[in-house]
Amino acid sequence: MAPGRVDPMTLSTVWHSFQSICKEMRHVIDRTSQNYLIAQLHDVSVGIWDGTGRTVAIPIGLSVQYLGGKLSVEYVLNKFKGDLDPGDVILVNDPYHGYCCHLPDWGFYRPIFYRGELLFFTLCRAHQMDTGGSYPGGYFPNAYDIHAEGFCIPGIKVMEGDKEREDVMELILNNVRWPQGTRIDNYAQIAATRVCEHRIIALLDKYGKETVLGCMEEMMDRTEKAVRAAIEKIPDGTYYGESATDDDGTELDVPVWVRCEVTVKGDTLKVDFSKSDNQRKGFVNCVFNSTYSNALSALFMFLNPALGEYHNEGSLRPITIYAPPGSVLNAQYPATVGASPVSMGHQIIEAVVSAMSQAVPNKAIGCWGKRYGHYIFGHDPRTKEKYVVTTFDMDGGAGAVRGFDGYEGATSIGTLGEVNKGNVEEVEMRFPWRTVRWEFATDTAGAGKWRGASGIHWEVENVGGDAGIATGSSDGEVVRAPGALGGEPTPNSRSFLTRDGKTERIRGHRLYQLKPGDVILKITGGGAGVEKPAEREPEKVRMDVIKEFISIDKARESYKVVIDPKTLEIDKKKTAQLRSQGEQR
Amino acid sequence: MKCCTDVGGTFTDCLVLDDQGEVHAFKSPTTPEDPTLGLTNALRKAARFFHMELPKFMSNVHLLIAHGTTLSTNALLTGKIAKVGLLTTKNFRDTIEIRRGYKNIRTSRFNVFVPPYQPLVPRYLRLPVEERTLYTGEILKPLKEEDVYSAIRKFKEAEVEAIAICFLHSYVNATHEKRALEICRREMNGAYVTASHEVLPVYREYERFSTTVVSAAVGPITAHYLRALEERLRDIGFKGTLYMVQGGGLVQSVEESARRAVSLIGSGPAAAPSGAIRLGQCINSNKLFSVDMGGTSYDVCLVRDGEIPTTDYNWVGDERIAMKMVDVPSIGAGGGSIAWINSLGLLQVGPQSAGADPGPACYGKGGTQPTVTDADLILGHVPADYFLGGEISLKTDLAEEAIRSVADPLGIDLPTAAMTIFTTVNSLMADEMTEISTKRGYDVRDFVLVVGGGAGPVHGAYLADLLEIPTVIIPRYAATYSAFGMLNMEVGRDFARSLISRKSLLDLERVNQLFTEMEIEARRVLGEIGVSAQQATLRRSMEMRYVGQFHEVEVTEVPLGKIGPKELDEITEAFHRRHKELFTFDMTEREVEFLNVRLKATARQEPLRLAEIPRANGNADQALKRHRPVLWSLPKGYEQTPVYDGTRLAWGHRVAGPAIIEEPATTVVIPGSYVCTVDSVKNYILSRR
Repeated sequence: MAPGRVDPMTLSTVWHSFQSICKEMRHVIDRTSQNYLIAQLHDVSVGIWDGTGRTVAIPIGLSVQYLGGKLSVEYVLNKFKGDLDPGDVILVNDPYHGYCCHLPDWGFYRPIFYRGELLFFTLCRAHQMDTGGSYPGGYFPNAYDIHAEGFCIPGIKVMEGDKEREDVMELILNNVRWPQGTRIDNYAQIAATRVCEHRIIALLDKYGKETVLGCMEEMMDRTEKAVRAAIEKIPDGTYYGESATDDDGTELDVPVWVRCEVTVKGDTLKVDFSKSDNQRKGFVNCVFNSTYSNALSALFMFLNPALGEYHNEGSLRPITIYAPPGSVLNAQYPATVGASPVSMGHQIIEAVVSAMSQAVPNKAIGCWGKRYGHYIFGHDPRTKEKYVVTTFDMDGGAGAVRGFDGYEGATSIGTLGEVNKGNVEEVEMRFPWRTVRWEFATDTAGAGKWRGASGIHWEVENVGGDAGIATGSSDGEVVRAPGALGGEPTPNSRSFLTRDGKTERIRGHRLYQLKPGDVILKITGGGAGVEKPAEREPEKVRMDVIKEFISIDKARESYKVVIDPKTLEIDKKKTAQLRSQGEQR
Repeated sequence: MKCCTDVGGTFTDCLVLDDQGEVHAFKSPTTPEDPTLGLTNALRKAARFFHMELPKFMSNVHLLIAHGTTLSTNALLTGKIAKVGLLTTKNFRDTIEIRRGYKNIRTSRFNVFVPPYQPLVPRYLRLPVEERTLYTGEILKPLKEEDVYSAIRKFKEAEVEAIAICFLHSYVNATHEKRALEICRREMNGAYVTASHEVLPVYREYERFSTTVVSAAVGPITAHYLRALEERLRDIGFKGTLYMVQGGGLVQSVEESARRAVSLIGSGPAAAPSGAIRLGQCINSNKLFSVDMGGTSYDVCLVRDGEIPTTDYNWVGDERIAMKMVDVPSIGAGGGSIAWINSLGLLQVGPQSAGADPGPACYGKGGTQPTVTDADLILGHVPADYFLGGEISLKTDLAEEAIRSVADPLGIDLPTAAMTIFTTVNSLMADEMTEISTKRGYDVRDFVLVVGGGAGPVHGAYLADLLEIPTVIIPRYAATYSAFGMLNMEVGRDFARSLISRKSLLDLERVNQLFTEMEIEARRVLGEIGVSAQQATLRRSMEMRYVGQFHEVEVTEVPLGKIGPKELDEITEAFHRRHKELFTFDMTEREVEFLNVRLKATARQEPLRLAEIPRANGNADQALKRHRPVLWSLPKGYEQTPVYDGTRLAWGHRVAGPAIIEEPATTVVIPGSYVCTVDSVKNYILSRR
């Protein structure tokens, strides 16, 4: 019999049960929540930690919200030492007390007891439609400090003995703009943690405490071993990557840089962000938890894809992530953090991906189309109610990977495609905005032997009343995220506002007033490429031209493929000439 | 006579219900290149049994139910589909490729090394038409017919075989789609043409378009197959009615099936739950867990109160199908599933399968990887000399060799490895069942397990034991479980209309009008296949949610007749109850919203009469065949175990575990924790001690 504390069959069963519990939790939220971000776009995460805060299961969610959830659980444990009971639910959203990435992400924590003993924690964190502050939504620039960004909840019990603390909830919901809707989403999250509790207790009943805890240790040890083995395969050395966001939202047009050094030594890996910019006045600052979670997410893509749903505490042991206090990646109170999941969050991933693509070239990854979102808030004349809406519909697709073109439509490297886009029919029914056009935009894919996915042409008309748009969750108008091994970086994005027949450029990280009849147009950049575009098979280039993903000009300039505009056939001779010139240069 | 045929991956099954109410089962190998061949062979076997020539036999069959599932599903999975052209609202031609950003359907998001999705219609065949309808049904821009004609020219040039017409908001006003459909049908001779309002007239364009495109893609091959099937049956003398099983759990005429080809997808596992309901009646139970363990997959369906559950969240391969289909989650676990060791050193079983060819190592057809059947053989659960009644003799040495390939790296001996495979696959199946039942808020222990499929009776009692399920039914027709389900299926169709409104603004007149409209259509569709209004059963339902939510809950407590304010309140009450039942909370103070109204129209039918078997005369010892060593538990080692000949067991016989019953088509394994009794219609009822 192989050494091990538990038999292989029980281990496998218990391990997969932890994963399926997380899936059930997400299912409950999916089916019951009412916030567009949570229910349709899956801006939600769930997971299981043990009674000391070690990570047990993290198969589903948005990396930034929960991969580093152990830090949050440790915070709750310390704060409520000796004061936790079955049926308690604790709510936290404060980045400086509980390590949330930004204020709209509310986390509901439930300690799980078995026969009087605290054995597990579950967390369900999701993006609320509002969290107070100066403007609706989350991503508005120029807040004076964290308090101006919204209501800060430092970790308080909202349920005791599974009974709601109504006065506390009233205080909280009295500080958000859509209390009724937010209440539904909160109930959905709490219900998910309750399902988790039921299932974990059933698991403990079935196999016994010792066995389940034994399995947990074994899970962690095995994952650690597998992650170390994956790191061991990477050549020792230090690899550098960098990426920037357009600006910090307050000091405009000055890019903010993430710079990382990934050092691989034997079976350990260290990511050092010391060379990144310092904490900013604007809202792009990350608390350490965000940096930690995003860096892990980037690394996981390079560490044996089969481990995907099996990551746990063991994965974290061989990995060290460092950002000095006061860095934009380890911001200190009272820095604003509103945009950090997008602006800086994505750049962390991009910088690490870029460094790792040099370390493991046969698994090189191009960065994804940059997030180009916004919040629109206004008045809906049909229901006579105010509304707020955000969407990922316009975001460009995935970056290429070595061996495959980028995945069209897939959304935002920060979520690795976990969020969804919407339906025009759903949006038009719910919000006073009519979609004019929503299609891929030609020549918006980063070129490469394997090209990135396309960007998108997204155009909508205001058929409601006066409104405002905060373009805080957007990036990539000035800077571009790296491709790999000679592939083009992500193309830039841009947006326009048309009013009374006049069209003007509008910019990210700003606020604009909107009138009825206004039309907003966004054309986004897609994913970055991998390897040199001139090495792409000419036939693939021709098909992209026929499909109008790229133009004949782009085929010639980037891919060095000459296509006859009449026949759409490849001019082989001219192509060969062009390509050989490129080589000589 | 009534005849049901099921074209499976390996065998084509045929069940005949004769005029005396007796059911007879026949099997013949599936012929993938022309499935009607295997079907004819199975029917020929049946004719021979009745001592008739095939045409004579066929002329006695008044009703034949068949399904071509494997055909349309496989066509989709293997990409052997028609060249489709998509006609869509201008400025929205990428809906099916943007596909709402869905990426990793079945793998972790950290696995980015996946090939990008290839849409069924490439971008250059997705052609725009200027037109625009709003969510209110109002027309913003009229249909520009020139665009339709110009698209048709391009489609002809590209030689497309099918056209899907998908316009925004056609679920509320289909005027433009109807007109374009008319033009395309007239101008595109021979092409298969369909439109989204015909296939699935409900809101959310990605889901509707995707379903419609799938329907167009499998349309020609399905229509062709159905024509060939009809012809073949006519050639061999069939004069009765032919019905096809639908993925939604009902059966429908051939014409209707060809029109909405997507409705045949997923029809394979859709039949079994109807059989489970009938079997539940044998022991007066309507809370059933129907499981079907075949060679490559394990299909599970939870049936409550005799209602077959359906879902519109379906992925077939990489395609999203939003048509209501019987909710039969499936995992890759079956007799052929391969055991392997993952990078974490965990033994895993499936989803890779050795399939029918080469099959498990013990079949001796060249398979070398260890499968569940190999483990079953080593444990002594299945007999080497009487597998499929002796048709296949199993090679124990090959099974051992295969199992050794996982035993050695794990550092365990052969019996332990076999036991680990057996237990792992059982846990996998049990986990899936727990997930399904808890997802719906039910305790799995309150259900009766109904077990079908070739490998099902070997594993059924162990699954029940793991889940603490007290009762297991192993039906007489376990090996032809799907075809048995078909014998019990209802004839009919589902209808749906979108009606999107808050309760306070709900136009009751419109509600009543939509129900009436669907009921008229239902009568017409049923009338076409000879079902009169008196014979029809209509069941209404409404999909509702709290204002603001995104997912709806189907409320079936909707009365027939006129819906007034009082009925509406009762429906709302039922919604709150259902929401609480499903998700642990409700919000009675919150306003509710209606989305879709639905109607299920079926022909009333008597429950299938099952023939009784003779009563036992004396105890089960008379059926004792032999003793074989079986490994029930690792500490105890192999134990000599009584083996009974299933063909000699009679009504009332009782066999206490540990024991094994060998049937020609399957093996029933009874662990020590269960007692088996034989009921009046030859079901094995296993009860937990």
